[in-house]
Amino acid sequence: MKFINHLTVGLWLTASAVAVSGLANAAGTLRYATVGEPPSLDQHVVTSDLATTIAHHIFEGLYAFNAANSPVGLLAAGETTSEDGKTITIALREGVMFHNGQEMTSADVVASLERWGAHGSRGGLLFANVESVEATGPYEVTIKLSQPFGPWKNLMAFINGGPAIYPESIVKDAGAEPIAPEDYIGTGPYMFGEWEANRHVELVRFDGYASPDGPADGYVGTRAAEFDALRFIPVPDVGTRVAGLKAGDYDYAESIPGDLYADLDADPAVSTILNGGPIFGLVFMNSKAGPLSDNFALRRAIQTALDKTPALQVAIGPEGLWRANGSFLPDGNVWYTASGAEHFSQGNADLARTMAEDAGYAGEPIKFMVSTNYAFHYDKAIVYTKQLAHAGFNIDLQVYDWATLIEKRAQPDQWDLFFTHHGFVPDPILISVMNDNYPGWWSTPEKAALKAKFTASSDPVERQAIWAEIQALIYEQVPTMKTGDVYTYNIASPQLAGLGEATLIWPHFWNVSK
Amino acid sequence: MLVYAVNRLVTLIPTLLAASILVFLFVHLIPGDPAAVLLGDAATPEDVAELSRAMGLDEPLWKQYLLWLGNVLQGDLGTSIFFREPVLDVIAAGAETSALLACMTMVWIVLIGVPVGILSATHHGSWVDQIASGGAMLFASVPTFWLGLYLILIVSVGLGWLPSSGFPSLADEGGITNLRYLILPSLTLAAPNAALIIRLIRATMLDVARDDHVRTAKAKGIHPARVAIKHVFRNALIAVAAAFGFTFAALVSEAVVTETVFSLPGIGRLVVQSILRRDYPVIQGVILIVVIFYMCVNLLVDLAYAYLDPRVSLS
Repeated sequence: MKFINHLTVGLWLTASAVAVSGLANAAGTLRYATVGEPPSLDQHVVTSDLATTIAHHIFEGLYAFNAANSPVGLLAAGETTSEDGKTITIALREGVMFHNGQEMTSADVVASLERWGAHGSRGGLLFANVESVEATGPYEVTIKLSQPFGPWKNLMAFINGGPAIYPESIVKDAGAEPIAPEDYIGTGPYMFGEWEANRHVELVRFDGYASPDGPADGYVGTRAAEFDALRFIPVPDVGTRVAGLKAGDYDYAESIPGDLYADLDADPAVSTILNGGPIFGLVFMNSKAGPLSDNFALRRAIQTALDKTPALQVAIGPEGLWRANGSFLPDGNVWYTASGAEHFSQGNADLARTMAEDAGYAGEPIKFMVSTNYAFHYDKAIVYTKQLAHAGFNIDLQVYDWATLIEKRAQPDQWDLFFTHHGFVPDPILISVMNDNYPGWWSTPEKAALKAKFTASSDPVERQAIWAEIQALIYEQVPTMKTGDVYTYNIASPQLAGLGEATLIWPHFWNVSK
Repeated sequence: MLVYAVNRLVTLIPTLLAASILVFLFVHLIPGDPAAVLLGDAATPEDVAELSRAMGLDEPLWKQYLLWLGNVLQGDLGTSIFFREPVLDVIAAGAETSALLACMTMVWIVLIGVPVGILSATHHGSWVDQIASGGAMLFASVPTFWLGLYLILIVSVGLGWLPSSGFPSLADEGGITNLRYLILPSLTLAAPNAALIIRLIRATMLDVARDDHVRTAKAKGIHPARVAIKHVFRNALIAVAAAFGFTFAALVSEAVVTETVFSLPGIGRLVVQSILRRDYPVIQGVILIVVIFYMCVNLLVDLAYAYLDPRVSLS
């Protein structure tokens, strides 16, 4: 018993001593609580938002978006386009160093663009129109297109699944597999430090960073790495992310649920930061197989049955965090259009029932896949299932984990509807429904004709008008149903300076200090 | 005893082989493709198929199994699809956290569970017993995620005494002082387990106390405390030893809720996360190691029986 008493006292003394001695954190490290771990940081291949939140401090592209979502040169110093719009010559900034000490030249840019074109998630969109990419000088790259392609600069500026510039030695033989962490070498203000499984991904300041000139504006302009290190720590439980930030263990925490917003916004110990670009849910319809494959009238009946507002109220909560907006891009954005949006959220069960009968629907089961990995997918799907049942549809709700859902959605005979969501994109060409090969496989002649016009034009006003036509076609042929805009938010320690009131798409921590 | 231990270790081999086939089959039978998870939502089925081919995931299952088994026999558990690190290194990083957490939890269980269990048995029916049994029932019923979050709110946010979450390795900056990160999670894990041990010790000791040898000891006028410890508790310990063994094994491999609440990079969270992402090499590697671990704990528990109870023969 005496021994146990000694042991108890000893343990408590040790615990108290270490508690007092070790609470202070290393100065100059930003601690960011993430919802999980990124699948990889290779920006060519991976489209995870978390991966980009980390990786855009390491890797840079030729262009980036300013606060108005216009593409501006980052590694590119400027460009000229031939009169026929088919030859683009890009001048590179000189003196830009990679984290391995080599200077970036046109050879690195050509190798990176070619790998992105061949294996990148979004590279195929541009490279379907690319004839060649050549180094026409040590700091000059020339891209030859088979036909003019209006959104080329927007595609290049979108770093998520985009053309980050890697050293030629790394990217030349990289192939389709994501590059390994030891090869995470970019030109960004921070360089890759270490990745400890389930513990953290750490980036450290790159002292040889060559910052672009000009005032900071969105993701362009001067970039100053104020922290010694950025540490991204997976904290899967939201209660712990919030408590950890309040306790001072984290400086920034992402993906906080809507129902905590009012309390946290009123708490002086916490800053709330809205994400400026909303995410939006999408319910895709199967164009390859099943009762919805070519029956646009039946699809419109389903669209007519849905009232999106109650689903947003249930799934998201506070009204400031969502908009029942039928335009695919938000109000205030240059791509905003009300075209076709009158069909967005009718919630008319009687009309839907009549329309379904006219479309020949006789109560066949409609398989609706949803995942519980994202609570708001599931919550909205439950509301929609109820609304559709009320309008006479026989919905077979199939609930899977996300990995299973994305495997099943690749098999056209497995589903009729599936729920996913989309991050904000600065050009509608990047919305997944525009990709003919994305599950749903929407590729009607009407879409092909409009898409060809949309990509061939470089005139912003003309492109906006064509986009309005495409959006109207989406509401007519219903390859997907938008479920409304969701403004996610993050929280930060009030000690962080330079964050701004809202993030553009992904948070960034250059020009931020504490 | 040595011959017995060696025999038991030899029987591990066929069991492990059977376990490896089952694990491999089950893991690959779950729908889902790591390539699809890796590429993200924007990827088309063609992109996913191309990456699957590049990673060798389109090979026939038997071929993948034999390749994996061949590598395992050479001590190579493969490379994690997501971390791009050897599976052994990924598991070793998780094992450090899990082992330390389990050890610290066991310390709390022994420090709290054993004395309170003995007091409860020796004072059964009294107010001491009522409080101990009621407390044990309460802590056995409290969900660990609830207790964990409240401990974080009170101790970390309110009082600022201990860190709320995470666990840097002992090899990292801070060294041994990093153990402070495990104090709250180990207390959270210890609460329900100590409660069960209290109830087990109490029940077993009350059973043993009715035995003839205890009555004889009391009749001989031996001091009640000595009777309780030497005659009753010692005999009750046989059942308790098995409970300690399995509790420890479960703490190492199944503390997933506590690891999630406190963001600890342990084995339980690693398995769940790997299953969600279909990181096949990590799932297979962890389960194989956990099977070996459980078998070793089983063996140690059996050896402990023989040590504690001379009537048990291992020949």
